[in-house]
Order: sequence, then structure tokens, then C-alpha cells
Amino acid sequence: MDIDPTKILVRYNVQKEKAQTPDQMAAEMYPKDEPAKSIAKAIFEGEEDDVIEGLEKAIEKGANPIKLIDDVLMPGMKIVTDLYDQGVVFLPNVMMSADAMLEGIEFCKESAGSAPKPKGKVVCHVAEGDVHDIGKTIVAALLRSAGYEVVDLGRDVPVDEVIAAVKKESPMMLTGTALMTTTMYAFKEINDRLLEAGIKVPFQCGGGAVNQDFVSSYQLGIYGEEAADAPKMANAILAGKGLAQLKDMFHKH
Amino acid sequence: MVKRYTSMAYKNADDMIFGTAVHPVKAELGLEVGAGYVTAEVNYAPRPEAGVSKEKLVSEYRKLTTDIVARAVQIGFPAVSLETEHVEQMTNNPSWGGEIAHVQKTILEEYHEEYGIKCGLRHTPGDIREDRDLLALIGDKYDTLMESFEAVADGGADFLSIETMGGKEILDYAVLRNDVPGMIYAIGCLGGMDMEMIWTDIKKIADKKGRIAAGDTDCAQANTAMFIAGGLLDKNLAHTLAILARVLAGSRTLVGYEAGAQGPGKDCGYENTIIKSITGCPIAQEGKSATCAHADVMGNLTMQVCDLWSNESVEYHGEFGGTSVQCWSQTLNMDAALMNTAIQTGNAKVLRDMMALSDKYRDPQGYILAYDNAFKVGQAIVKDGNDLYLRAKNAVTETIKILEASKKEGKLIMSRFEQNALADAKASVDALTNEKDTFMSDSLAKYKAEVKVFRPETNYKW
Repeated sequence: MDIDPTKILVRYNVQKEKAQTPDQMAAEMYPKDEPAKSIAKAIFEGEEDDVIEGLEKAIEKGANPIKLIDDVLMPGMKIVTDLYDQGVVFLPNVMMSADAMLEGIEFCKESAGSAPKPKGKVVCHVAEGDVHDIGKTIVAALLRSAGYEVVDLGRDVPVDEVIAAVKKESPMMLTGTALMTTTMYAFKEINDRLLEAGIKVPFQCGGGAVNQDFVSSYQLGIYGEEAADAPKMANAILAGKGLAQLKDMFHKH
Repeated sequence: MVKRYTSMAYKNADDMIFGTAVHPVKAELGLEVGAGYVTAEVNYAPRPEAGVSKEKLVSEYRKLTTDIVARAVQIGFPAVSLETEHVEQMTNNPSWGGEIAHVQKTILEEYHEEYGIKCGLRHTPGDIREDRDLLALIGDKYDTLMESFEAVADGGADFLSIETMGGKEILDYAVLRNDVPGMIYAIGCLGGMDMEMIWTDIKKIADKKGRIAAGDTDCAQANTAMFIAGGLLDKNLAHTLAILARVLAGSRTLVGYEAGAQGPGKDCGYENTIIKSITGCPIAQEGKSATCAHADVMGNLTMQVCDLWSNESVEYHGEFGGTSVQCWSQTLNMDAALMNTAIQTGNAKVLRDMMALSDKYRDPQGYILAYDNAFKVGQAIVKDGNDLYLRAKNAVTETIKILEASKKEGKLIMSRFEQNALADAKASVDALTNEKDTFMSDSLAKYKAEVKVFRPETNYKW
């Protein structure tokens, strides 16, 4: 028994694939001048050593290491995340590029003896009782790639610890991920405790068992359906969007 | 010492069929799995607020168990099996899981006695072996986990299962970096080593208590890869890499059977067709009637050789048609009735092939897990069955070979991205050594340097 599969299914991913390869599309986006072009290419390819080599050359020629972060590394990474948003490159490419870019940032900070001002600070955690943290790892990497400082509290984080971190760090956004329905209940408690303390920080929640209905049931909650929503939400907050507007933007169902 | 599989339970892929296994298993209340018929296996999760106390959890499981078996009787189904996947409180407090197993079994006994319905009960303690930031596979938590198995066995669970996490600390790192050798190390080697330790002990408990050591699944790794890969348009992982994680799980999950597990294998083990081809043990599977839990690209295909048919998990709550567990259990039971009709009318192979073909060309994952190709992967695993590394590498190599060969047939159309990921995987696997010791020592050094949460000395028995 066999069939003609085209009569029963469509591989839309094949149909929609762009004519250009990701490498070709990235090449069109690289800056024109050196060393920015070589460094951007090294970031796209996830080649840490080449990123550092490019930075070394630039610093030798008198470039300001902190300016290299803002003018070369961040725009280089943005090429990768833009292509990811367009569906051209996949998450592992972003992760490998982020590794290379973050190593470059560390190198620049060491060379300068100072650190640049981040776009904003985000506290990330996995719900108490939950040790599934690959989603949080992705969220943190995407936020760092977009220029945000991430305070990563790790996994299985007690509610008290989340509240203390928010009070200490005064982040622009808090994220929580959970895989299990029983652990995501902690998000409501965090919401209540923050409100009691008079803190109205946007609280992005997502993960395997988390759904929009649940997140909508508490005031500070904004549903993050995909990890890639995290930097978009942070950008929206920077642009002045309040809780109601964020819910409008990200509650898609 | 475990007994490695170096040969196949079936001579030909075509000999495999749903409802029948070479080695059926028998539960206490009349249910036989793999003995010529398919049975629904209903899975569920308590509502979030039920986790606040033991009393609330016990009450939740009492209600949902009654709902399931009552619906089965109302619609006239001859058998039903239940699986309770623990929430962490139930495993960390072994008496909680034990009491819930007892409450559930008592309800099943009452219905079995009154109506004669055949029933089974699986309990799946959670793999609690971790601390806040690190895996803790050996130590106090291991002891608590074993106590949990003892408690649920005492409580009446027929089938003992778990989804173990050995190797996950490396897989989470490797899978996000297209690192296929890392996936082989994580799933095939570290996962296999952990499986050998834990399943040897679970088997001892099962034998002592007169229960069945049922089987494991690589939920923590292969399902993570499948979940990240997502649908056709998702851009998080090439589906050609997700299937490599899955066939590696075939080698890894097999270790449980080598340590004495007898099936039915766990439902979300999409690697179970490979497992059945090697072991001849019955398997649970999930697919089109598990959309309450997640989307996958092979909902019909997974029924092809199942013995229990599952819904993966559904939160207990109300629906228009009753409670969620009643609705989904009815769907599962109806699926089982159709398969059992096909068996009785001599059409089982026709239905099997229709189910397989409806998904086989949808995606590289379904293509490889179609029973004919899964059988070939099984053969590649047992070829070097005594070597955890080589057999895992064989599974990957064979899968790449099958996918490459599919291009000539032209029915599985892969995207350029999927093909490139496959080519990169082939290049990295072709470059690997055939010496287990070399691979293990190289990998140990590499991941100790790159993965800060990797604690090989304290987590694995070398």
C-alpha cells in the first residue's frame, strides 16, 4: 500500500522557503565598513574566536571598546534576531550567535575596564517547584542578545526570593516560566505579593502548561506565547506601553 | 548486570501490529496488554489549586478516577487503563502517591467486581532527582524516589514507570547549538548509564511487590527536542535534528528493558515503535487523541503498533461533554474500538498501513518512525547492542541514511534548511570515532568545560 502524499498533506515550510539562503540574506545586511563587517559575519556564523580577533584588531587601531559594543556587536546580533523574526534562521543559530556576541561583550568590558549602560534590566525565573528551565534559558539569551541586562534567578525559585529580587533590582520587567500546571500557580502569588508591596512591574509568564486564560486572571500578568516575545515585550515597555497596552499587544487569543 | 539486546524480537517489520506484542503483560484486574486487543490509557493532571494539600489531591484523583471508569461503563467499553503521572508533591512525599494509588485501585476494583470491566493502573513518579540548580541523580533524592515506587506498588499500581532525566544537563545545551555529538553523549551515553542504574532498582521493587516494571520514555530530552521543533513553520529546531534525538532515545529507552522492564512502555515515548521491534514488549502511544496536551505532526502514525492508546495528559475540569477525563477517555476508547474491530475482521494490517501512510510523508519525524523505517533503526541499534555509544551512533547514522535515500523516492519533501541540518549532522557524525572510550573521554572534557551545571562525578556511575 502506498499513496501520493500531495493529495493529503502540504509541507508549507517547503513552499514558503525563501529563494535566498540565510547566508545571502545576512550578507546583504552586514555593515559596509571593516571591522564591523567581519565582526557581524563572525557573530552570524557563531564564531567566537573570530569575533574576538576582529575586536582586538579594532581596539589596536584605537577603537573605544564600549563604543564597539553599541556600534558593532549589538547591530551584528540584530541581523541574526531580525532574520529569526523573519523565519529565515532557526533558534540554534541565534543561541550560537548570542554566545559569540556575549563573549565579545565580555572582552570589550575587560578591555575598557567598564561596562556599557544596558537598555534595561529584566529579572527571569522558573516557578517554584519547577525545574524545567530550557524555556527560561532561551528567554534570557534572547533578552541579552537584544541588549537587556538579565538577572537570572534560575529554576525552582521560591516566591519570597522573586519578590526580594524585584525589590532589590527594580527591573523594568519580570519573567516567569513553568512547565506544569501545579507550579504555575506560584505566578498568582507573586502577582498578589507585588501588588501588596505597591509594585506594578509587567510580569511576563509563559511555558508548557501556561496559557493566556490563566495569565489573564491576575493583574500584572502578560502572556508570552513564545520565547521570542520577551525582547519584543521589553522593547514595548521601553517605548512606554503600559499593562493594558501590553495585554492588547500580546494576548493573541 | 543487564542483558543487552543484540537481536530483534520480530523477523520483519510487517509482523508488527497494534494490540499484539510478542511478550504481553497482565495486570491484576483482568487487563492484558499486547494480548490481541488495544486498550485506552487515560492520563490526567489535577487542577492547579488541588496541589495545596494531600487531602485535596486525594479527593481530586478519587473524582477523576470515578469519572473515567464510570464513563467507560456507560458507553460499554470492555477495558480501560489509567496512568497517574505524579505531581512533585506525590513523589517527594511517598505516602501521598501511595495513598492515591490505593484510592484509585479501590475504585477500579469496585467497578471490576460489579461490571467485570478489565482495568489497569500505571503510576509514574516524577524524577525528583535534582537540587535547585543541579541534577542530583544519586543520593537522598534517589532514595526518596525508590520509596515512592515502593509506596505506589503497595498502593496497587500495576505498572511502574518514570521519565528519567539522565543526560538532560548536556542535551539542553547541545540541542540549542545543533550539536549532534553532544546529543549522542547526552541521550545515548549519559541517559543510558542513568537508565541502567535506576531500572535495575525499579525492577527489584516490582519483583518484590508483584508488580510490573513497565518502562521509561525520553520525555526530558527527545520530547523536549520535538516540542522545540514544533510545527512546520516554527523556527526553533530543524525537524531532521528532532528525529535524531528521537532515534537516540530508542537506544537509551531500550536500557530499561535490558534491566528487566516488560512494558507497556510509556505513552509519550515516540521511540516506542523502535523499542517494540527490538524487545517485543507492549507499548503505549499517544497522537491524535492527545491534542489536549500538545501538537505533533504524526497523530495517526503513532497508533500503528500501539497496545495502549493514550491522551498524554489533560487537566481535570469541566467540558460540555462531561469532565475532561470523561471526554478524552471516550475518544481514546472509541479509537481502540476501531482498532479492535480491524483486528477481529482481519483488517488490522490495512488499518495500520493507512494510519502510518497518513503521516509518513508529513515530516521527517513521521517518516523515520513509520514502522518499516523504525524497524531498520532498531536493527542498527542491536547490531552493536553491547556498546551504548556505538549503538546510539548507529541509530543516528541509519536515520541519516534513510532520510538521504528518501530523496530518490521523492515523497518526503524536505526544506533546504532541513536538508542542510541533515548534511551538517552527517558531517559531524562521520567525523566521530568508533571507539567508545575515546568518545567518552573527549566528551567529558568538552562538556565539563562548556556546561557549568555538568557534574559527572556525582551523577553517574562510571
